[in-house]
Amino acid sequence: MNTLMQKVRNIGISAHIDSGKTTLTERFLYLTKKIHRIHEVRGKDGVGATMDSMELEKERGITIASAATYCQWKNHEINIIDTPGHVDFTIEVERALRVLDGAILVLCSVGGVQSQSITVDQQMKRYQVPCIAFINKCDRSGADPFRVIDQLREKLNHNAVAVQIPIGLEADLDGIIDLISMKAVYFDGEFGDIIRIEEIPDSLMENAIEKREELVDAASIFSDELTEAVIEETEIPDKFLIDAIRQGTIQRELTPVVMGSAYKNKGIQLVLDAANEFLPSPVEVDNEALNLDDNEEPLPLTGKKEDPLVALAFKLEDGQFGQLTYIRVYQGELKKGDTCSNVRTGKKIKIGRIVRMHSDQMEDVEKIEAGYISALFGVDCVSGDTFAASGLNVSMTSMHIPEPVISLSIKAKDNASETSMAKALNRFTKEDPTFNTFISKETGETIISGMGELHLEVYVERMKREYKTDIITGEPSVAYRETITSNTSFDYIHKKQTGGAGQYGRIAGFMEPVADDDFVFENKITGGSIPTQYISSCEKGFVSCLEKGPWLKYPVTGVKIVINDGASHSVDSSEMAFRAAARGAFLQAYFKARPVLQEPIMKVVIETPAEFQGNVMGSLNQRRGMIIGSHDVGQVTAIEAQVPLSEMFGYSTTLRSMTQGKAQFTMEFSTYKQVPKSVLEIIEKKTEKKTRTGT
Amino acid sequence: MLKKQLILRDPLSFLGYETDETEKKGNFGAVTSRAGVGKTAFLVQIAISSLLKDKNVLHISIQDPVDKVNLWYKELFLNLTQNHDAKQSKQLWEALLAKRFIMTFETESFDFSKLISRIDELRTQDIFVPQLIILDGLSLDSSMQPELNQLKEYAVKNNFTIWFSVRTHRHQSDDPVSMLRQLGGKDNNLFNMIIQLLPHKDKIQVKRLSIDREMNERPPLLIDPSTMMIKETTDK
Repeated sequence: MNTLMQKVRNIGISAHIDSGKTTLTERFLYLTKKIHRIHEVRGKDGVGATMDSMELEKERGITIASAATYCQWKNHEINIIDTPGHVDFTIEVERALRVLDGAILVLCSVGGVQSQSITVDQQMKRYQVPCIAFINKCDRSGADPFRVIDQLREKLNHNAVAVQIPIGLEADLDGIIDLISMKAVYFDGEFGDIIRIEEIPDSLMENAIEKREELVDAASIFSDELTEAVIEETEIPDKFLIDAIRQGTIQRELTPVVMGSAYKNKGIQLVLDAANEFLPSPVEVDNEALNLDDNEEPLPLTGKKEDPLVALAFKLEDGQFGQLTYIRVYQGELKKGDTCSNVRTGKKIKIGRIVRMHSDQMEDVEKIEAGYISALFGVDCVSGDTFAASGLNVSMTSMHIPEPVISLSIKAKDNASETSMAKALNRFTKEDPTFNTFISKETGETIISGMGELHLEVYVERMKREYKTDIITGEPSVAYRETITSNTSFDYIHKKQTGGAGQYGRIAGFMEPVADDDFVFENKITGGSIPTQYISSCEKGFVSCLEKGPWLKYPVTGVKIVINDGASHSVDSSEMAFRAAARGAFLQAYFKARPVLQEPIMKVVIETPAEFQGNVMGSLNQRRGMIIGSHDVGQVTAIEAQVPLSEMFGYSTTLRSMTQGKAQFTMEFSTYKQVPKSVLEIIEKKTEKKTRTGT
Repeated sequence: MLKKQLILRDPLSFLGYETDETEKKGNFGAVTSRAGVGKTAFLVQIAISSLLKDKNVLHISIQDPVDKVNLWYKELFLNLTQNHDAKQSKQLWEALLAKRFIMTFETESFDFSKLISRIDELRTQDIFVPQLIILDGLSLDSSMQPELNQLKEYAVKNNFTIWFSVRTHRHQSDDPVSMLRQLGGKDNNLFNMIIQLLPHKDKIQVKRLSIDREMNERPPLLIDPSTMMIKETTDK
């Protein structure tokens, strides 16, 4: 096994918004000597945290794009991806998790497991990312790390166990007791960088012994050596305990919990130690690619640098020197001057500059080996592309990319802005697969679509700031869709005889709803009643009707078409005639198949002080929301509801004014549901008006 | 049609309870058993039956998060409808969800006055008016008698019934009635309906009990532990 590789950690830092993950990363970089001063996220020095390199991020105090960075700690090389906290940007979090081997789940010791921690945790489960938990903000009033550990067990189903306990809490937080070495650790100096190790204070000894027993008990399942030591009641060497915790963590059966305060510089070195000790190295994680030569069968990757290259471009950024492509090498190595191929396009790529990123600063390197994360310059690709050695036709597992649910029309105010807008949109769509743009055929307007109001707002802001684009935005609109609810048959003849060559085609069959697909076409023609060469034209004819439904002009989904009979003419039948016949057949059957309109429904979770919960629930009811339930935790109530996206525009402002800014909400796409009759009538009227006025 | 078929599988009517008893305002019911036998699953079946009868159900859980409670409903509804048309079942499920509200509390943050004020808020703001309340996971003891009486008064005034899960310990499992009599105090008028779940070979027996012990015991029903559904024919 590659001993160097064993000392590499590719980790992500994931959490609920405002849990302090950017501050934590900043402290990591300071302690690992990557930066020499600490800047706060919303600091008075106006510099902002190093990881928040985008101007907008610094201003809003949130992290939008993940900035990758690396640092070294105790002979280990740690690559860190700082991930955005708001759920609207979860594609960033998901992409980061895709390339990571482990993660630090940051939780607030006051807020505990919040709605978004649950979302992030689900994402970690999806990608099987082992994690450790860091309970931050133990210096805050109301801090209770053990309540948070209970929540990790109850809400997230983690087998969470403390590997530390705090010395004091809230304003009295003095240091941390390490339950492995059974020592008290204090953090002196202006930025807590001077570590002082002492004996555990007598007053905390009993609690420390009790918690250590819990830790040993939880870890012993993962190590026979440890179990033996426990049974024989011999002294337990630290290594036994660390190895057992590590095994449990890598198997995702145990979540070790560390704690402290990033803001007060307490416990941060121990978080880095925990990442080294408990999270896996690249060689301990099994990675698979899809073999495109073998029907996308999974192909295990070796992780050896001698084997052919397989790498994934997981993030693109437009820097001052051109496009920067973040890649993770899974197998083989990539050297400056090498050639490999982009599997999606089949094009050869020559590797120019390779850099290691430290937020927005960079360091040139000669090569990247399997297991490492770096960035390339001058490579033309999109996010999610696989680079492989020539002749190797594999792709990394495709990422789960949700469909956009909201769109907005944008228009440049002048010619100069139009050019920069196009440039910006080109970059954003390459960087973010959940952000799409297209030109509306009816209005000629540019439409952008994405995962939520804030998602689009941030891109509009970025266009204005980074590209100096002067744009006007329209009203956001919801991605409604039409579907059918019953089976119906069709039998349509397209016949035209207007001089010259005629047109003739007859198509018969039926249309029925289908649950899991947008469109299914099945050819059950026997005896050649429709000649084989026209079958694909029939399909194309049906597909052309889906983009804009015949009823309310929204896309049609969930339709299965089966053709089982037809007729042709030796002279008058053509591809065009059968396409037209298919369109006619679709129109003939569609209205009989009882079409309905569906709208995107969002899962909304609001965390509010209990005194406002009635008002908040009322506001959800007004918005056609269906409240699933409420959960009381101390003074805070978390309300979970399903609300139509069309009713959620501007909700953040309403919520803020209703709760004196004390509540927060997250929103993610849940499902599509039929639009109720009252709302349908309004939409019908709008469509009618649009059709009449031609806008 | 589906709804009517499912209503016929109401666990309370299997046990011989009449509607005027199960829907009488202020009536308290208890499902008792030792830990892990299936109190929550049984309560959820009572709740689903009420939802099918178009009653609003407020499910209060003292331990489980909202998602977990929701999962109980989903699974039991799936078990109930497994032999029926999937599309119809899905539509019915969607319709039932609108009549159900889950409210969960952490053990340490629960108290009766808070519960009453929460229900009040839901009612007065017309957010949700419960007709049946399921209160699951609360450890009942005799010190709670005044609060339970207050809750009963509130239930009478606001026209709903409440079903509790009551966990019994080893020494009480043969005689949960005594425990419930203690909870009821000297007037002994708290619990009007009592159901006991008892593990029996590879099945679970469901017994209807009475607080005054005068009622003739009916033959017990059986629950299949793999689905937690009542078996319609009782195995001997």
